[in-house]
Amino acid sequence: MIGLSKKEENIMKLKKFAALLLAGAMTLSMAACGTGGSGDGSGASGAGTGGSSNNTSSEASGGASGGSSNAVSMENAECTLEMWCIATESDSNRHSYEAAIDEMKTEYPNITLDWEAFENQSYKTKIKAAVAADEMPDIFFTWSCAFLGDFVASNKVYCLDDAYQEYKSELPEVMMGNSTYDGKHYGVPLTMNIVGLFANMDLLKEAGYDEIPGTYDEFIKCCDALKEKDIIPFGCAGSETWCVTEYLESVIEKSIGADAMNDIFLGRATWNNPEVAAAVDTFQSMVNNGYFDPNGISLSNDEVKANFMAGKYAFYMNGTWNCADFANDANFFPKVKVAEFPVINSDKAELGQLIGGPSDTLAVAASSENAAIAAKYTFELGKRICHYGYLDGCGLPAWTPYGDTSSVNALTQDVANICNAAKAYVLFGDTAMNADEANTYLDYVAQVYGCKVDGQGFIDGLTKDIR
Amino acid sequence: MKNKTYKYVTVFLFLLPALILFIGVLIAPIVMSLVYSLFDLRSVSTEGMEFIGLGNYKELFTSGSISFWKALGNSMLLAVLSVFIQLPLALGLALMLGKGIKGERAFLSIYFLPVLISTVVIGQLWRKIYNPDYGILNAVVGSGLMPQGGWLGNESSALWCVFIPTLWQYVGYHMLLMYAGVRSVSPELREAAKLDGATDGQVDWYIVIPSIKPILRVSVIFAITGSLKSFDLIYVLTNGGPYHATEVPSTLMISMLFERNRYGMGSTIAVLMIALCFAFAIIINAVFKERDIYGKK
Repeated sequence: MIGLSKKEENIMKLKKFAALLLAGAMTLSMAACGTGGSGDGSGASGAGTGGSSNNTSSEASGGASGGSSNAVSMENAECTLEMWCIATESDSNRHSYEAAIDEMKTEYPNITLDWEAFENQSYKTKIKAAVAADEMPDIFFTWSCAFLGDFVASNKVYCLDDAYQEYKSELPEVMMGNSTYDGKHYGVPLTMNIVGLFANMDLLKEAGYDEIPGTYDEFIKCCDALKEKDIIPFGCAGSETWCVTEYLESVIEKSIGADAMNDIFLGRATWNNPEVAAAVDTFQSMVNNGYFDPNGISLSNDEVKANFMAGKYAFYMNGTWNCADFANDANFFPKVKVAEFPVINSDKAELGQLIGGPSDTLAVAASSENAAIAAKYTFELGKRICHYGYLDGCGLPAWTPYGDTSSVNALTQDVANICNAAKAYVLFGDTAMNADEANTYLDYVAQVYGCKVDGQGFIDGLTKDIR
Repeated sequence: MKNKTYKYVTVFLFLLPALILFIGVLIAPIVMSLVYSLFDLRSVSTEGMEFIGLGNYKELFTSGSISFWKALGNSMLLAVLSVFIQLPLALGLALMLGKGIKGERAFLSIYFLPVLISTVVIGQLWRKIYNPDYGILNAVVGSGLMPQGGWLGNESSALWCVFIPTLWQYVGYHMLLMYAGVRSVSPELREAAKLDGATDGQVDWYIVIPSIKPILRVSVIFAITGSLKSFDLIYVLTNGGPYHATEVPSTLMISMLFERNRYGMGSTIAVLMIALCFAFAIIINAVFKERDIYGKK
């Protein structure tokens, strides 16, 4: 932005965000997990949300939000709210939560927020147990689409329709899509993220590359060149299968296209697709060619990320929330660049087809004694978490950004540019599918990474095991 | 008569709080699990759950994708290793310390230390030991011996790598139980045996071990039921992976309950685990009751 005045910079940023929001609109029209699509997203499973989405929260919304929350004023309310989230000390989002909560304390001193953060995997267990036992906190972190959908179908989540009216201008309807069920809003989105191909440019330079290769053939040549230099091209945490999906889903998407992939994830088409099998074989050939760290299968994502930042791997495909951690490491940050995975089959796929979308969400328990106040508080808090999260580089904003955003790190700005050029999004598979199907899917993904099944085995197994 | 009734009522009233607690905390959840195991329950709400009778049990035993047999087999293997490796080690240590060696208290504390440390901490510690990049195991045996995928990432090595810390952690626990028994053996008995010319080994074999048989029985019950219920360390180290190689019934149950939202199937596994623990406790009691400590029927 050298040579531009502050005003011009701001105008450029506004343009970027307008484009970003359009991309978001595309996301949700493709993912269609929400409005009318609750059945699609979570309901492909029959027993999941879809089966019960007809009675989805009519009671919760009718009962719990019956009294218009617009009539509730947070300024006059005296209460204590409890919140659970996953922003632990080591989480990239920790600072954004702390900053947002501090701001809320100053602005609403009459409302006390008791908040606790839990480790990601154990939180999934904890929140489900709490929902089952009706012991939910007033406000809770959740993933959108099928994960939240199950709670909504059980009438455990407070409908946010009334509270949302006040924030419509700041939080576009399209960003609410993944937490909308039967036309009702149940979640406040925070940030949105995509899968990014992060590269250690120092290692690429050793292999003779100044930029991340833009075509698949060049990309494979680059991997071979890296191997010749005894540099491991990819790091992938096999002990956390969602990390493998970041690679596999990108390969499948860039082989069969976003539309076909959305159809499969959302239950509109079966897994019995030979093109998927071929894409899985492509991924597996990368594993068999030694492009992946063979020890990665026993490593956690934290360990793999640490290895990448320590210069062990040339590439790391993972969520763009990692931009915050990369930006915070002064030594590593100048070395890292981000790009999207190259197109494998240009007849079916194209650049701009991305994996990701808004998933991190805050929701309010229907059982909360102060649900109406909690709803408003959640919107205000969510807006601030989104703001600080964006400034920290934890993701792109689901809310219309406000204030000075010039300090956003260059890597996150690159991600914003990738999203500006987005043509379609496919939501993360384990978020789009209901819990049972998602775990069956993850089981097969793990087997693909371990070369226990090939592409044909993958589609045969999923066709048989996913209803 | 009035006094007798008064006595019964008093006893009942004194027992009532414990009874309520016992029913509320133990019996009621077991009964609820039993009920849920008969339903196809796939949501956090019980609305719309469908009665399927023994459908979950049938699916559990016949479905290849759930891999219950594999999980049960792993548990049984752990139980066998516990009885034949962990308990003899604990007994050896207890007999050694029971002789009143120098630094007895210090050794007791050291051997018991793993029991006091949080299992999650132990899990993280062993993860570091097995780490393929900087783990101490590779430094000792050489990375050339490490299997493809790393110690915890290879199907054939992962199970043993999980069992070793599981067995190691509770050696101290069983040792302490047995040590208490060994110390309670009358010194006169030992001295009498010694005067008759018995060696240390013979004293232990013919005097001490038969005397602590009730404690050995308790240790065997704890070791076997503990193996069937083993969860925390496996969850931290591998969470049942890779490819279900280290799956045990409890990790499978957690996966069904909280990852797949299959509450009916999760309850089915819980019921089977309870039944197995009861069955083994009864069998072990029967085996140990066959002969009393003097070898009479």
